[in-house]
Amino acid sequence: MASAALADRRWIARSEERSSLGRFLLWLAPWALLLAAGVYAGGLCLWFGLNQTNMDNRFAFGLWIFLDLSIIALGAGAFFTGFLVYILKRAELKPILNTAVVVGFICYSGAVTILGIDVGQPLRSWFTFWHPNTHSMLTEVTFCITCYLAVLSLEYVPILLRNRELRKLPSFLIFEHQLHKLVPVLAAVGTFLSFFHQGSLGGLYGVLRGRPFAFREGFLIWPSTFFLFILSAIAAGPSFLMLITAAVEKVTGKHLVAEDVYRRLGLISGTLLGVYVAAKSIDTLIWLNVTSAAAGVAPWRYYEYKPFGTPLLFIEIVLLGLLPAFLLTFRKTASRRGWLLSAAALACGGVLINRFVMTVQTLALPTLPFDEFLTYTPSWQEVASFGGVIGYGVILYSLSYRYLPLFAKPKGDQSHVSLG
Amino acid sequence: MSARYGMVIDLDRCTGCGSCMVACASENNVPSLPQASDRTGLTPMLVRRISNGKQDESRREAFVPILCMQCEHETPCVSVCPQQAVEVDKATGIVMQMPQRCLGCRYCMTACPYHARYFNWWDPAWPAGMEKSLSPGVAVRMRGVVEKCNLCHGRLHSAQEKAAGAGKREIDPADYVPACVEACPTGAIRFGNLADDNDPVSQETHSPEAFRLLARIGTEPKVFYKSKEPWVRALADGSGAEVKRG
Amino acid sequence: MKVTRRDWLVWGAGATAGVVLSPVPWKLLGDTSIWTQNWPWIPQPARGPLEVKASACTLCPNGCGLRVRMAGGWPVGLAGLRSHPVSQGALCPLGFGAHQLIWHPARLRAVRHRGGASSWDEARAAFVKACSEGPVGIVDGFPGRAASSVFESFAQKRNGAYRAVLGPESQALTPYEAWTRVPARNLGFDLENARTIVSFGAPLLDGWGTPGRFSHLWAERAAGQSDPQLRLIHVETSLSTTGSRAWRRIVIRPGSEAALASGIARVLIEDKLVPARGPMPLLTLSQAAEQSGISADAIRELAHTMVASQPVIAIANDDNPAIAALNVILGAVGSRGGIVQRSKPKHSTISTADLRDMRAVLIDSSMPWEFVPETRAEVFRFAAWDGGPTRADWLLPTPALLEDLTDMPTAPASAIETYAIAAPLVAPPTGTLSAAQFLAEIDPAAAPVEKIIRARCDELLRGRAGTVHAQESTPVTNIATAEKLEEQLRNGGVWVGEPPRAAALRCDLKEWPAERPSKPSARSSAWAAPVLPPLATKLYEESNLLQPVPRRNS
Repeated sequence: MASAALADRRWIARSEERSSLGRFLLWLAPWALLLAAGVYAGGLCLWFGLNQTNMDNRFAFGLWIFLDLSIIALGAGAFFTGFLVYILKRAELKPILNTAVVVGFICYSGAVTILGIDVGQPLRSWFTFWHPNTHSMLTEVTFCITCYLAVLSLEYVPILLRNRELRKLPSFLIFEHQLHKLVPVLAAVGTFLSFFHQGSLGGLYGVLRGRPFAFREGFLIWPSTFFLFILSAIAAGPSFLMLITAAVEKVTGKHLVAEDVYRRLGLISGTLLGVYVAAKSIDTLIWLNVTSAAAGVAPWRYYEYKPFGTPLLFIEIVLLGLLPAFLLTFRKTASRRGWLLSAAALACGGVLINRFVMTVQTLALPTLPFDEFLTYTPSWQEVASFGGVIGYGVILYSLSYRYLPLFAKPKGDQSHVSLG
Repeated sequence: MSARYGMVIDLDRCTGCGSCMVACASENNVPSLPQASDRTGLTPMLVRRISNGKQDESRREAFVPILCMQCEHETPCVSVCPQQAVEVDKATGIVMQMPQRCLGCRYCMTACPYHARYFNWWDPAWPAGMEKSLSPGVAVRMRGVVEKCNLCHGRLHSAQEKAAGAGKREIDPADYVPACVEACPTGAIRFGNLADDNDPVSQETHSPEAFRLLARIGTEPKVFYKSKEPWVRALADGSGAEVKRG
Repeated sequence: MKVTRRDWLVWGAGATAGVVLSPVPWKLLGDTSIWTQNWPWIPQPARGPLEVKASACTLCPNGCGLRVRMAGGWPVGLAGLRSHPVSQGALCPLGFGAHQLIWHPARLRAVRHRGGASSWDEARAAFVKACSEGPVGIVDGFPGRAASSVFESFAQKRNGAYRAVLGPESQALTPYEAWTRVPARNLGFDLENARTIVSFGAPLLDGWGTPGRFSHLWAERAAGQSDPQLRLIHVETSLSTTGSRAWRRIVIRPGSEAALASGIARVLIEDKLVPARGPMPLLTLSQAAEQSGISADAIRELAHTMVASQPVIAIANDDNPAIAALNVILGAVGSRGGIVQRSKPKHSTISTADLRDMRAVLIDSSMPWEFVPETRAEVFRFAAWDGGPTRADWLLPTPALLEDLTDMPTAPASAIETYAIAAPLVAPPTGTLSAAQFLAEIDPAAAPVEKIIRARCDELLRGRAGTVHAQESTPVTNIATAEKLEEQLRNGGVWVGEPPRAAALRCDLKEWPAERPSKPSARSSAWAAPVLPPLATKLYEESNLLQPVPRRNS
């Protein structure tokens, strides 16, 4: 279609082609609806209180915490790609870097928003900063996530400022250029912060000595889940980026990134996943036979509660762990897009199951001998709030894709984008 | 001279009447909201019914009052609260919850293995005029904060004020009796200072029949239980293979 | 001068630094934290001088001693009164929330006639008219009070009927009336001196008799002991709390209590386990075994166990005469640790006139809401709370707990005679009248409750017997005047009579009583108020401790 016909042409980079504004708005419409529903549901929770959810005194954490932990794990691609590109100098991943930043920004801003609704007194959110508890993993998470969100915002701004119209303002151009110099520093800071908060999210559960199902021994003050969460996050992050990029290519009908990039992401993801599965398996054995036994729980007792039986453990570690690790690294499958993406989806699924097991299963299992196994179903407000985050994410990403050079080659880069 | 307030609850004496539950709610201005259920209600003292699992003539039931265990070692809720809204009071050993600082993140509720913490899912409300029946000396909490038993700290405060008014440093133990202890018609709930070797309750904690719930987790609760029944004692280490709920 | 971007940046930076260094943001932060601590719609407790007063709970005939904490002139907390000789500082679980009943949303504040609003004048006119047209029946759920004698004399004067309704504890004593010639109201169970108690379904640990009385006894002498000083044998059809905590638990078929009692009595007589005291039961041992569902050997063993540690007493949950007869065989009637006479019978006019023949029936607020009289008379229902749909024609609002002067006669089942006064601690809402006050307005010749109470105190003083238990115990003989005695009682003191002289009760049972179907008490539970205290949700809805009891008419 003719580039000149677009109503918002001047906002779109000269070399890029985009669909008409009307079509774009049509694309945004259902996501906007989802976002509106989410805002409404979140508003109900803020106004009437958390009784709008189905959480209760036994399930003090529910769908939101599970999904928060999941999207932060999936958004780990942001810091890890930055780490690989700027610290380890793996330049071949540069094309995916901007997407990683935007996806990361969406994931973290979405998570922080949901966390703001998930507390009983949102106006007191700053108390954690004012009276921090150095022993609490949640303090660490709060600090690191807010700092990292600031870092991501700073990483997002240069991308934002590369918009065709915004570039015209010389101060913005200069600002963007200065920020660009900061980016390696931001990447390093981001890596440091992410290492800690990804780990601390695991630490949230690993330190709960009152919940033998979640409790782990570890290294110094850090339970093994601290390290396992980092590993699983950096393993899933690249896979998630693969899926996002593939989805964008599907929706826009364009080839945005070399096949090579997918393969590399897959190799990184698969290798890390393999290491994770090994570590997780060892950890599981130690936990069942040593740690839980010390707390008085016989091994495998946890899995007597249906439907959370041993098949779930098998699914998490083997089906959604070992299998995708293999598929992502084995040459025959890793070289084919279909296998790669399926394996990436399995890997992301594995991380989701892991977060689910740590958040929801931990609370469902009884701790006292006369307690029973309880279940909980999220209310529509909880589901809609998270739907709103997804709507927000798609909208923000779509806007970024349309108006910002997410996949543009940086000036001076001679590598070709192969069409095929 | 710091105290370590604790309890010994004699499960052979508890008849499950529930007086402790109602007295606690009355003393601590806990609302009774019609929309609350057994999973969303506020019961800082909660009596649980247990059985030996049999269905025939040999079936036996007992009752276990559950309240904040006042854990002493690596207190789970204290170490996890992101804004230090919980702390172990050095002078009394009471695990103090500050509802005014609570953010309502509920991390402490996931940490507590005894499920002794409750969240205010709604704002408290009483029918018109009934707020005149609220117990003075206990602040009413708002929605969105966690609360739990604090061993009727308001009564300790009154005892301290009374002692100070009489020019004494130490309180008279008879002046500080938590509501549940006062209400129990069989004297099953006994309260005392575990730091005082002469306190009969402190001595009872060393009895071979005394045990604590989930002792192997190592939180060192200051609420002990006592029973001669073997199936009730199976509660002790958490395995409780013979014990069933309800 | 041209304002450049640089200027903006400089001023902006300077302003930011200035604000940060000023108290403004920090004050605002602090204020926000205070604003979020106390929203204006969160109720706060009253401020005001704290007082502790004593009274008695009037919500059921057990009359537990109450220690009432008051703030700002309103009750803010209830606890038991340790000096009360029967309740010994205990309250039932509902009692701890009873002070909130004053503001229960179902509180009756105006007269209602057949669903519509009315007035006291209209009610009075209708009642006076009814009295002139025919006899009037009065139903009293808490007999023995000063108000009860107001009811009795009113009914007597009008050739009407006075019906006192007894709870299951007192009903269990009615069979002895014919054999001892002593009314059930003057008998009691001497649990304190028993060593074996056989309960036939009576929930001794679960709402029987005065809260605190048996639970204290059991806790001291039985709980947790493998060879207890007090042996509790509980006979029941399905597991209850009492059965679960009992020393021995016997499960029988529903409705076979009389059969089991007969079987036990037969073994006691045939095996000469007791001296010959009474008639042989009609059932044979094998018949008893068959009906109750336990083997003959088990019944024999039970009988042997029962007499192994004496005194032994059997307690029924209704007026089953077979269990009363078993007590005769056991020698429990008129002995220490058994059925004793605690007080002298007073002349009373409890009539057996049928409520169906009445022109009007007045139901006192002490009757449970579920009580539905079988009559087509005009029903005048006194109550402090609205318990839901009702057959009554008139709903008349009365003062509630702690609002009305009442006296507390001896609690059902008590072995010692007691007398206490529940003094009002708060003013009742305007437009409320108790049934006794209502009748006093209609018949000015009737003595008001205050006068009757004073007369009773006078009588106690002149009797020169018993002790007043308050902070200290004072023998009556050391009290100078009736006013002083009454003052002590109004401040939470309890008069306790002399311990019963067991041997004085003579029992004359020639034939084993015929079996008849058990008549359930008109009171399903001791709790009489039409509504539960709001905090009862802790026991029913907010926990799994108790199953909510479905209430009729609700």
